[in-house]
Amino acid sequence: MTDVNETINGLLNELRRGTIVIGVLSQLSIPQYGYSLVTVLEEKGIAVDPGTLYPLLRRLEKQELLESKWDTNEARPRKYYLLSPFGQEVYAGLCQEWRKLSISMERIMDESEGGKRDGDH
Amino acid sequence: MEIIDRYIYAVTQRLPEGQRAEIKQELQGLIEDMLEEREAEGPPAQKDVEGVLLELGDPNALAAKYRGYDRYLIGPQMFEPYLTTLKIVLISIAIAMTGMFAIESIFEPSEIAEHFTDYIVSLINACVHGFGWVTIVFLLIEYREQQNTIVKSSKSKGWKPSDLPQIPDTRLQIKMSDPISGIIFTVMFTVLCLYAIELLGVWRSHDGNRTVIPFLNADVFRSYLPIVWVAAALGILKESIRIIVRKRTGKLLALHIAVSIVATVLIGIMLADPTIWNPVFIQQLEASGIMSPGSEGYETVVSIWNGVTDWLIPIIAIFALIDIISETYKWYRVKTSS
Repeated sequence: MTDVNETINGLLNELRRGTIVIGVLSQLSIPQYGYSLVTVLEEKGIAVDPGTLYPLLRRLEKQELLESKWDTNEARPRKYYLLSPFGQEVYAGLCQEWRKLSISMERIMDESEGGKRDGDH
Repeated sequence: MEIIDRYIYAVTQRLPEGQRAEIKQELQGLIEDMLEEREAEGPPAQKDVEGVLLELGDPNALAAKYRGYDRYLIGPQMFEPYLTTLKIVLISIAIAMTGMFAIESIFEPSEIAEHFTDYIVSLINACVHGFGWVTIVFLLIEYREQQNTIVKSSKSKGWKPSDLPQIPDTRLQIKMSDPISGIIFTVMFTVLCLYAIELLGVWRSHDGNRTVIPFLNADVFRSYLPIVWVAAALGILKESIRIIVRKRTGKLLALHIAVSIVATVLIGIMLADPTIWNPVFIQQLEASGIMSPGSEGYETVVSIWNGVTDWLIPIIAIFALIDIISETYKWYRVKTSS
C-alpha cells in the first residue's frame, strides 16, 4: 500500500509549484537578490528551494515580469530583481484570480465536508 | 573550495554559452550565502559544503531547470521511425557486404584471408556511413518539424478540432514492406557501387580460374562516387519520410517524383560519360576466349556494346517513368474513389 503522507507530499509539491510565482512576485516591489528572497519567503511560511527559485527568477525576467541589476559594490556581487511595471500588472491580475480560485476551492471543500462531517469526526 | 567549482562547472557546462558566466556568478553567490547561514564564523567545513550542494541537488536537474526545455537531436516523436530505418539500413548493409564477401571468396578461394580482413574493415566502414547518413537525414526531418511547430504555434493560438488529421483510408496506407524494400534496394545498390563495381561484368569460369570482365572503368567510376552518395541519401530520405508518414499523400507523391527524376538524371549523366565504360571490354572478351572475331554473335555484341549509352539510358528513363506513373496511378485511383 502506498503511504498516505508520501502521496500527499507529492501532490502538495505540485500545488505549491504554481503558487511560488505569486509568492515571488509579491515580495519584489522592493529589490531583492535570490537568497534573501528564499529567507523572506521561508519566514512567511512559503518554503522554496533555491534550485527552483533561481531558474524561476531568470524565467520571470525573460518574460519581462522582473527587471534585474547586478550590485557589485558589496563584497559579494549579487543580482537584484525588481518587479517591472508589466510585472506589477500581472501580479495584480494573478492575485485577483487566486482569490476567486481560493473562494471556489473553499466552497467545494465545505460542501464535501458538510456531507461527511458527522460520519468522520 | 574545489568541490563548489566542480559543482558550478557541472551545471553551467550544460547551459548555452551566453548564459554561463552570469549563472556561474549567481550560483557562486548563492552557495556562499547558503554556507554563511549554516555557520556564522570561520571557513566552511567540508560537511557544510556537501550539505549545501545536496540541497541544491543533481547539477543535471538544476541545469535542466535553468534551460527550461529539453534539447535533443532526434525527438521522441521521430525516435521510433529513426530506429526502424537505422535497423533496416544496417541489416541491409550487413547482408550486402556479406554477400559480396561470399562472391569474392568463391571467386578467389586462395585469397580468402585477405578478403575476410577487407570484409571486416569495409563492413565497419559502411555501417558507420549508414549510421551517419540515416542520422543526418532524420536530423533534417526533425529540424524541419521543429520549425513547423514554431511557425504553427505563432500563427494560430491553440488547437482546433479541425486540425485533426483524417483517419487514413486503408488503401492510402503505405505498407511497411514498401519503404523497407526501397531502403534495402538503395543500400544494396550503393554498396555495389562503392565496394564491388569490378564485379559488375561478364563472368567467366575456365579451368577453375574465374575471371570477370567489368563493364565499367573502375577508376573513372570512382570519381563519380559523390553522385552515388547524393542519390543514396535522397533515396533514404524519401523512404524515411514514407516510414514516418505511412500514407500516400500528394506531397509525398511529389517528393517521390522529384527524387526519382533527380536520381535518374544523375545516373544518366554518369553513364553518358564515354570514359566510364571499360575501354578494352571487347579486347578482354576476345582475350578470355569467350568470343573471337567472326564467331557467332560477335558483330551483335560489338554493336550493342558500342551503342551502350544509346539504349541503356532510355531504358533506365523508361523504368523511372513507369515507376512514377504507377505511383501516381495508385494515389490517383484512391483519391478519386474516396
